[in-house]
Amino acid sequence: MTKLQTISALLGAAALSALVSSMPAKADEALDKLKAQGFARIAIANEPPFTAVKADGSVSGAGPDVARAVFKKLGVNDVVASISEYGAMIPGLQAGRHDVVTAGLFMKPERCNAVSYSEPILCDAEAFLVKKGNPKGFKSYQDIAKDEKATIGAPGGGTEERLALEAGVPRERVIVVPDGQSGLKMLQDGRIDTYSLPVLSINDLVKKANDPNIEVIAPVQGAPVYCDGAAFRKGDTALRDEFDKVLAEMKKSGEFAKIVEPYGFSAEAALSTTRDKLCAAK
Amino acid sequence: MEWDWAFVVQILPTLIEGVKITIIATLLGSVLAAIVGLVIAIVRRSKNRLISMPMGFVAEFIRGTPLLVQLYFIFYVLPDLGITLSPLVAGVIGLGLHYGTYTAEVYRAGIDNVARGQWEAAKACNLSPLQTWTQIIMPQALPPMIPALANYFIAMFKETPLLSAITVLELMNQARSIANYNYRYIEPITMVGAFFLVISIVSVIGLRWLERRYGKID
Repeated sequence: MTKLQTISALLGAAALSALVSSMPAKADEALDKLKAQGFARIAIANEPPFTAVKADGSVSGAGPDVARAVFKKLGVNDVVASISEYGAMIPGLQAGRHDVVTAGLFMKPERCNAVSYSEPILCDAEAFLVKKGNPKGFKSYQDIAKDEKATIGAPGGGTEERLALEAGVPRERVIVVPDGQSGLKMLQDGRIDTYSLPVLSINDLVKKANDPNIEVIAPVQGAPVYCDGAAFRKGDTALRDEFDKVLAEMKKSGEFAKIVEPYGFSAEAALSTTRDKLCAAK
Repeated sequence: MEWDWAFVVQILPTLIEGVKITIIATLLGSVLAAIVGLVIAIVRRSKNRLISMPMGFVAEFIRGTPLLVQLYFIFYVLPDLGITLSPLVAGVIGLGLHYGTYTAEVYRAGIDNVARGQWEAAKACNLSPLQTWTQIIMPQALPPMIPALANYFIAMFKETPLLSAITVLELMNQARSIANYNYRYIEPITMVGAFFLVISIVSVIGLRWLERRYGKID
């Protein structure tokens, strides 16, 4: 073999092995792979208290903390997070960029079709952030649809964007906001009339902003309480089942409540519902 | 991962809405860049260094910082100073100012290219500075510049996806929101690439024509 042939043969072998490793892993293979690499790659959004990156770069927030604890019990020592847009999380998961999404990605039927969710982890209702006194009197997404000039900011691909569109707010009045800080700024500057996020995220944002001219409307009328779960690739149900098993134990032992309650989440809410119920809800 | 033509057909109207905004932003940005560039070029030629030096500094400053940073500044920081621009206006200003600093160099080269004798002849004929610029220098300087300017405008066209960072619903942002909603990237992003390619190729053909028509210096 000439040198060139050797190189191309090696490249071919590398490509082949990359191809094989990217195929959906069967049963425990997925878990074994995570154990071998020593960490699970999670997708987060940096939206406290669901997910947060601290000033020193470490990852916290209720979602990653629960995932970290569960994975530790499964023998995977750590989680490595990458920050992503909500809308990019499921495609990123499918493309093999993440092993699991633990970002407060609420269960909705169409998402349940795209990924394998674990049992519920973090539950929250929706809220509006508005200027002091709620000048346009928003109480529900329908109110925004009715007001022909009102604009709403929402995370791109997030539940709130979907809720607003489904309530009949036209596309050009649903402003896709890249992150919480920009949403707050755009509200303060009067570029949007309201900014919608889950209650706990909005409260966290308001606390940080410390601005007397804004206020929170929560919960939004007509918007249901949502729960997220850890989202795995469609084929990774075996890994998901292992995750569920440990999660159920932690819920029973009270360890789960100890992790999520300091963040303001209700462990009770997560215990009172199931994946099947949430995925069936319309 | 398979290609779904039905999905492409379904998202096409939304993407075309985005293309419109992309083209509007490019056209307005080009007009602004052409004007800003001319102003910068003329001011920088001033013999009074108190005028030419600060303008030179401003132009170098804008050229030396990334367009994305400038867009963020115009969109998110200016409101603190009481200037709140709509996303598209902010985007057009960003593109126009940024590319204006590049087109200024094109103008400079074009003006420098006019033979010295033309300036002297204008002076000898007792033409005012305004007359010299508008009647003598610019008519000779502009045609050779047209292909080079158009080149920058095509480059600007390909930079417009940056406007999605400041919430302009142009082609890239429309594609992303489609992808976010349907969990599919392959079709929307491929279509974005295709749209840009088609428009660029058409523009390049136009550019070739401009080069043949105006590019020759005789």
